[in-house]
Amino acid sequence: MGESLAALIRPLALALWGAVLLMSTLTGRLELLLRGVFHPLVGLSGVVLLAIALQQALQGRRERRWNRSWALSGLLAIAVLLVPPNPSFSDLASNRNSDLGSEVELDFLLPPGQRSLTDWVRLLRSQPDPQLYEGDPVRISGFVLTQPDGPPQLGRLLVRCCLADATPIGLPVRWPKGFSAQADQWLAIEGRMGVENEAGQQRSVVLPERIRTIPRPARPLEP
Amino acid sequence: MSRLVTIWAVFQGLLLEALPFLLIGVLIAGLARWIAPGGRWLQRLPSQPLLAPLTGAALGFALPACECGNVPVARRLLAGGAPLGSALGFLFAAPVLNPIVLASTWAAFPGQPWLLAARPLAALLLALALSALLQQWPEGQLLEPALLEERRLSQPLAEVGLLERRSGLVGAAPAAPPPPPERPSLTTVLEHSSREFLDLAGLLVLGSALAAVVQTLLPRTWLLAVGGAPTISVLSLMLMAVVVSVCSSVDAFLALGFAAQITPGALLAFLVLGPVVDLKLLGLFGVVLKPRAIALTAAGAFVVVLLIGQWVNLWLL
Repeated sequence: MGESLAALIRPLALALWGAVLLMSTLTGRLELLLRGVFHPLVGLSGVVLLAIALQQALQGRRERRWNRSWALSGLLAIAVLLVPPNPSFSDLASNRNSDLGSEVELDFLLPPGQRSLTDWVRLLRSQPDPQLYEGDPVRISGFVLTQPDGPPQLGRLLVRCCLADATPIGLPVRWPKGFSAQADQWLAIEGRMGVENEAGQQRSVVLPERIRTIPRPARPLEP
Repeated sequence: MSRLVTIWAVFQGLLLEALPFLLIGVLIAGLARWIAPGGRWLQRLPSQPLLAPLTGAALGFALPACECGNVPVARRLLAGGAPLGSALGFLFAAPVLNPIVLASTWAAFPGQPWLLAARPLAALLLALALSALLQQWPEGQLLEPALLEERRLSQPLAEVGLLERRSGLVGAAPAAPPPPPERPSLTTVLEHSSREFLDLAGLLVLGSALAAVVQTLLPRTWLLAVGGAPTISVLSLMLMAVVVSVCSSVDAFLALGFAAQITPGALLAFLVLGPVVDLKLLGLFGVVLKPRAIALTAAGAFVVVLLIGQWVNLWLL
């Protein structure tokens, strides 16, 4: 058994990595790790690796001895398959700077009730006058983004490539009295946009009328 | 505990994004082996100190991949007997001088045309400098031993001694060049490519794990805190490029996120150093270069990129 496994270690390790790439694409795991534009490439690479593994298992030469590094890499592939990623968004955000870049341009504007949290943040960066939005309906979802100096905001992570470059954005929320927002908790908020004074400057703030706890969405990252 | 879980997720993100590009690189190297089995054309690439790295860099336009896919192709060039300068020029410049990377730089910074010209120029300059620096050492001290042995077999006997090649007969007449090798079967090519893929994937795993640990534990705000200072901003963004380890095909979009906070020289330094030196690449380079050659590459790249960043800041600030 050991010898036959050693002989087939190469196609086996290839198949395991192929399965990692393909399964990550099919199960939606990539939604948590990579920007959507890369998903087809990852899935296709998985199919190619599985095809090479099959071809090599049927026609390739058998290995004569154990290759420990391939065996280890195969074991790691199994670990990746079995232990899905479950990052703390709040941890990731606390480690990153929050910036949308110097140029925020909006091609079109959705009606207030249909704007996502990201749409709101981009709009407020391009047109920061809070009076423009006072009283507008707000219907957004995001995770509780703790702030080093102040109450938590409702946040999202923007990803340009993979989780390694995730950038947090957040909207200030005037939390109702008695409501305790836990870090990493996902919330859906319905309410209105208001104005508040922060360090002598006016800024927009979400005034919640209804707050619901929701599970982490299937596509938690925003482009 | 939550940090560990986050490291695991960032590790998976880096790895799953890089593996397809590694596969593309390995398959292109395999395809080259299948199309031109003897690699004779490789040996006919120019070997002049300036022309060689320039030719290698130009080959980058044929490989639309990032730095991970680049390594197996550069290894194939060296194993096939390509002049050292051409292969090193390719290894160091191709991750930037390729259509996808240039297009993504343009897409990320359409309002800064100077960057679209400066990035490939600086990458070319860096490749020329590193290639010239590394060629000060003999190949035996530079190249990874298994690669060197493979390379000796592809080089003509006039250039390589029997002892170096470890094959042939002492005293034998200089024989006519051996007949060109037959085209290997598809199964053999795939076997070779799959071995290469698994070897490199193991190294990529190590590099990605290191990058995930460092960037989860090191607050990125520290690296950007000195954004406006001309020299320190260049240094901090160079450190950031080494730590973050994202592919060159997308690093411009990442840089877009903090471009407003840093000096132009620091922005260019980030975009030029990352494709050549980063934590994820350290292991992969081990299949091409010896450890001290990797250290010399990192040190040389660091100095050249710092100078380029400083010069750009003098020019634009």
